[in-house]
Amino acid sequence: MARVKYLILLVLGALALATVAAGAASETGVTSTQVTIGGTTPLSGPASAYQSVAKGAAAYFRYVNAKGGVNKRKINYIYKDDAYDPSKTVDATRELVSQDKVFAIFNSLGTDQNLATRAYLNALKVPQLFVASGATTFGNDYKKYPYTIGYQPNYRAEGTIYGRYVVKHAPKSRIGVLYQNDDYGKDLLAGLQRGLGAKAGLVKSKQSYNVDDPDVQSQIAKLKAAKVNTLMVFATPKFAIQAYVYARKLSWKPLVYMNAVSSAANIMGLSTAATNKKQTEGTISIVFLKDPTDPAWRNNSGMKLYRSIMKKYKGGNPNDVYAVYGMSVAHTFVAALQKAGKNPTRAGIVKAADSLNVTNDPFLLPGISVKTSATDHFPLDQAKLQRYHDGHWVAFGGLFRVR
Amino acid sequence: MRSRAPGIAVWLLVAAVVLLAYLFAPRFISDFHSRELAGAGVFFIAIVGLNLLTGYTGQISLGHGALMAVGGYTTAALAVHEHWRDVWTIPLAGVAAGIVGFLIGLPALRLSGLYLALATFAFAIAIPSLLKKFSGLTGGSQGLRLLEDAPLQVTGLSGTVTIFGHTMTQNHFLYYLTWGIGLVGFLIAWLLVRGRVGRTFRAVRDSEVAAASVGINLAWTKTLAFALSGVYAGVAGSLLAIQVEIVNPLSFTFLLSILILVGVVVGGLGSLGGMILGALFVQYLPDLSTHVSTAEGAPDFIFGAAIIIVMLLLPTGAGGFLRRLARPLTTRLYLRP
Repeated sequence: MARVKYLILLVLGALALATVAAGAASETGVTSTQVTIGGTTPLSGPASAYQSVAKGAAAYFRYVNAKGGVNKRKINYIYKDDAYDPSKTVDATRELVSQDKVFAIFNSLGTDQNLATRAYLNALKVPQLFVASGATTFGNDYKKYPYTIGYQPNYRAEGTIYGRYVVKHAPKSRIGVLYQNDDYGKDLLAGLQRGLGAKAGLVKSKQSYNVDDPDVQSQIAKLKAAKVNTLMVFATPKFAIQAYVYARKLSWKPLVYMNAVSSAANIMGLSTAATNKKQTEGTISIVFLKDPTDPAWRNNSGMKLYRSIMKKYKGGNPNDVYAVYGMSVAHTFVAALQKAGKNPTRAGIVKAADSLNVTNDPFLLPGISVKTSATDHFPLDQAKLQRYHDGHWVAFGGLFRVR
Repeated sequence: MRSRAPGIAVWLLVAAVVLLAYLFAPRFISDFHSRELAGAGVFFIAIVGLNLLTGYTGQISLGHGALMAVGGYTTAALAVHEHWRDVWTIPLAGVAAGIVGFLIGLPALRLSGLYLALATFAFAIAIPSLLKKFSGLTGGSQGLRLLEDAPLQVTGLSGTVTIFGHTMTQNHFLYYLTWGIGLVGFLIAWLLVRGRVGRTFRAVRDSEVAAASVGINLAWTKTLAFALSGVYAGVAGSLLAIQVEIVNPLSFTFLLSILILVGVVVGGLGSLGGMILGALFVQYLPDLSTHVSTAEGAPDFIFGAAIIIVMLLLPTGAGGFLRRLARPLTTRLYLRP
């Protein structure tokens, strides 16, 4: 009898052990050797230039995997095409969740695209990590959508930086604003007014346009007629270039503040080519990534690492600032995964993403950290100002921290 | 040797095979693949509708994506603002798009060929902007989200749907709903083109002068074709909204109109049988082309190249190819290629 008892105990013990072992690696998308994550990006269609973000991130993950991965697990990052069409984002995201069984959705690109999947992912408690959009809602509405978190400095924060700078350094400005009549333009405008604070009266004229308007000629004429000397351009690239062109036609040269959406070096180059060097000279914008075309970073160790990863792990065009962004967001994901511990769970990585303090991101400007807390869901909320001089952006001044 | 074209027995056999495939396909594929097939079903319905217009009546429309938008937004607006149950809005979405189809058919009375195509093209370009303009109704550039804001959704977050006491997964339900409507729509289209309506459609296509001289009312026939075709597009748009649970102007760009037209041409103009293949082509090819290469610009290039190759190999589309395959069996119903 004793032998039977012993045997039963042994079997029960083995069963218990097996359950524990199985339970340890039971989170969806996580095995003992791999963590599978996924996201959407426009690989085809009119917005396909943004795909460099996903490719930069993928190259960084390959680099991390080659070094052994995170807690001996390789990161398998699947990015799917949505052609920038939110209905395709929904299908592709559902495919990632139900078919590819990803651990988390990571770095999906676009405001409408992420809004289209947010309710679904939160209902299923699938993390929607580091959304590639500057819309304020991704950081603000964490109580309703706890599984969602943004990444880049949000539009409202950017507007606030411009407002504070004007108050401090040019309090006699007469400000005119050209903004896109949607959430994005209004977020920037609200930020500007917040930054100006008591000096909000400096804004003498606000002109909006709709994204389907053919041009902004009349808006620029009205702004000139309002005798403003400072022009805030909260517009997408096409209209941003037009702002310079029509101002020049009216022989008007205000000091321009260009929103980050349209400040990439190639767009500024187009604006300069369409007008002249004088028209774009002195334009101010914000910057938080190391610009790969900026000669100041040529011998920087972070940018050397960036270039070697781009080359060795096939990240694409190394002069594309979107790829730098992708590496930075991948670096942050790795930090969050490490923080989530040896056996990461979905709830665990969300908690980790909400308590980050990464100070060693080599792709961000020195001094910028990726910081979040239970009440701060804006990982990046620091930026510098930069001035366009002689065909290049030159960063100046200290870091602003705004939420 | 000419014998009577396929007898009733052959058609019954085909119908039985299709019905069995429809009923049992979800058993053999994963849950997610039923969802993809439901997506192909949406294209199928729109393509069958456009084929009535372009294939049978000879009127080119580059605006069917916009007609789908009318259907999709009708469903979404009724579900979100008026709290209708989403599936009950499908007929209304069809009617709404049918009326709009009738209206854009009016220029067809004066324009023909490429000029008509341009007029419908203008409609396709204008719709996304119009949708943003009336943001109170359409949600503007963010669109409408059924999952969050529509209280009476047939799908929703539970993942399962129960009808007539029978519970199935949401994706299986979407498959049965879409293809059920699709097959009924196909049957109606087939009955139409076999009869008097189909003969007037074809007469208008082959020669307007000859058609008018035998007493066919050209204006009535063309606008009828546009309106009918619009109903199909509207139902397709409505089903798309129910499937993806959002509507957004970015989903109804000019590209969608082009995709539907590609589906009709690949399926075979003026042939209903090829339409399933046309629908599968436009549903799966964009995704497949990103599997070949994700280099910048490559998926678009591969998609374009695939269309060219298909048209070179199958100049009469899949429908024409099937007809040629079946010719020894069914004799020469059509002498035209």
